[in-house]
Amino acid sequence: MTPPFEMRGGHVRRDGRDVLRGVDLRVAAGDVVAVLGPNGAGKSTLIKALLGLLPLSGGSTAVYGVPPARFRDWGRVGYVPQRLPMGGGVPATVREVVASGRVARRSRWLPALTDRGADRAAVDRALAAVGLAGRDRDTAHLLSGGQQQRVLIARALAGEPDAFVLDEPTAGVDATSQLDLAGTLGGLVAGGRTVVLVAHELGPLAPLITRTVRLAGGRIVADDGEAA
Amino acid sequence: MEMLQFEYMRIGLVMAVLIGLTAPAIGTFVVQRRLALLGDGIGHVALTGIGLGLLTGSSPILGALAVSVLGALAIELLRARSRSGADVALALLFYGGLAGGVVLTGRSGAGTASLQSYLFGSITSVTAADLYVIAGLAAAVLLVVALFGRELFLLSQDEELARAAGLPVRFLSALVAVTAAVTVVIAMRAIGLLLVSALMVVPVAAAQQFARSFRGTMLAAMAAGVLSAVAGLAGSYQYDLPPGPSIVLLALAVFAVAVAAGGPLRRRRTAAARARAAEPEVMKS
Repeated sequence: MTPPFEMRGGHVRRDGRDVLRGVDLRVAAGDVVAVLGPNGAGKSTLIKALLGLLPLSGGSTAVYGVPPARFRDWGRVGYVPQRLPMGGGVPATVREVVASGRVARRSRWLPALTDRGADRAAVDRALAAVGLAGRDRDTAHLLSGGQQQRVLIARALAGEPDAFVLDEPTAGVDATSQLDLAGTLGGLVAGGRTVVLVAHELGPLAPLITRTVRLAGGRIVADDGEAA
Repeated sequence: MEMLQFEYMRIGLVMAVLIGLTAPAIGTFVVQRRLALLGDGIGHVALTGIGLGLLTGSSPILGALAVSVLGALAIELLRARSRSGADVALALLFYGGLAGGVVLTGRSGAGTASLQSYLFGSITSVTAADLYVIAGLAAAVLLVVALFGRELFLLSQDEELARAAGLPVRFLSALVAVTAAVTVVIAMRAIGLLLVSALMVVPVAAAQQFARSFRGTMLAAMAAGVLSAVAGLAGSYQYDLPPGPSIVLLALAVFAVAVAAGGPLRRRRTAAARARAAEPEVMKS
């Protein structure tokens, strides 16, 4: 089976600094990978580079066997950013944000032909899965930090991807919300989905993780799942 | 209403409705992308197009359309390419556009009155033929918003998220810039190039004060835009004022009312949201 993510000798330079220095990482389908490491180790850079959001200055990376620039099947990947983007401050409801996760599932050139019923149902399922059913008309930015994190996870869920990439889902989230998050992720993992997440410390997520990759100074210094 | 007996007022009122609908519609995306001054820059560049149109004896509207679309693409390219030097490059483009436009308009023999009418708006000079062009452009702007609304929503939330969803970020960014350029051309005759950007930004800023959703912001901004444009034009006829500044001042008045009314509303909503958040909720897995 084609691995969801495979990086070979990945180098990333940002603002004249080497942030990733030769990373080899193959994430197999069904893996639940935690990328750990101190601040500035390159954790977020690594997952953004895996998705092609940051260009490599050396090495190669592939999403489901295809370089990100040529990859087309983005509906298979759900990306959960660290924070709900504010932009210029135009409000958006929870439903609007979550529904935007369906964009990769739409016809690119004839967006009006998309099946609205299927979209709606997927958004409803995603909201229910994170415990936000009934909050869909609330303005997303007025919710608490933990709830905003759940909105972002629902956004990724709504796209019905096979692989999830989460950038520090536990940062700035209180203990109760972390437990809730562990419950949601547990559901995904039980469904056989691949998960790659960046974390400072795992907390209640620890039992779900099948593989821990430790980064320091832009290199992988420990990987307990390499042989598996 | 007695003002409707004049053809230019009938044309002007139709135009006011078109401007009021289109400028805030694309403006909502522009504001969310933090490009509030994009329209302003395009307006400066468009003056060179008007000068070219006058100098070559062709239509100033089509000249402005061609040059402002090219200018918008140049601005977008500069924005996307460089993080640090973009604002200086943009400034060069703006001043070049404005200065070039004034020089070209002067060379064409059009007087200062004509230049003034392009800079600050003049309804009386619009012909029925102009109106057809403007109506076509307005339809194109609304079509872009209707067809690509969801993609543009995601793009304006966050470019990285849009890229991770496989959206053609460069194409969509260019689409926003070009649509904004078309809107500048729609609005320039009535409002004037120096004030044109106001209707892309001010009604949106007003709607932001009380709307809950992105769609609601856009619709409320369009309502505020039509209200300011139509009432501003009628008022400028009634009291013999220039139309552009009258429309913009009315839009600002709507904004002031929205700020005054929106503050307490937002506080109540935040309190309600917090109260709901405090209720125990069980995550399903």
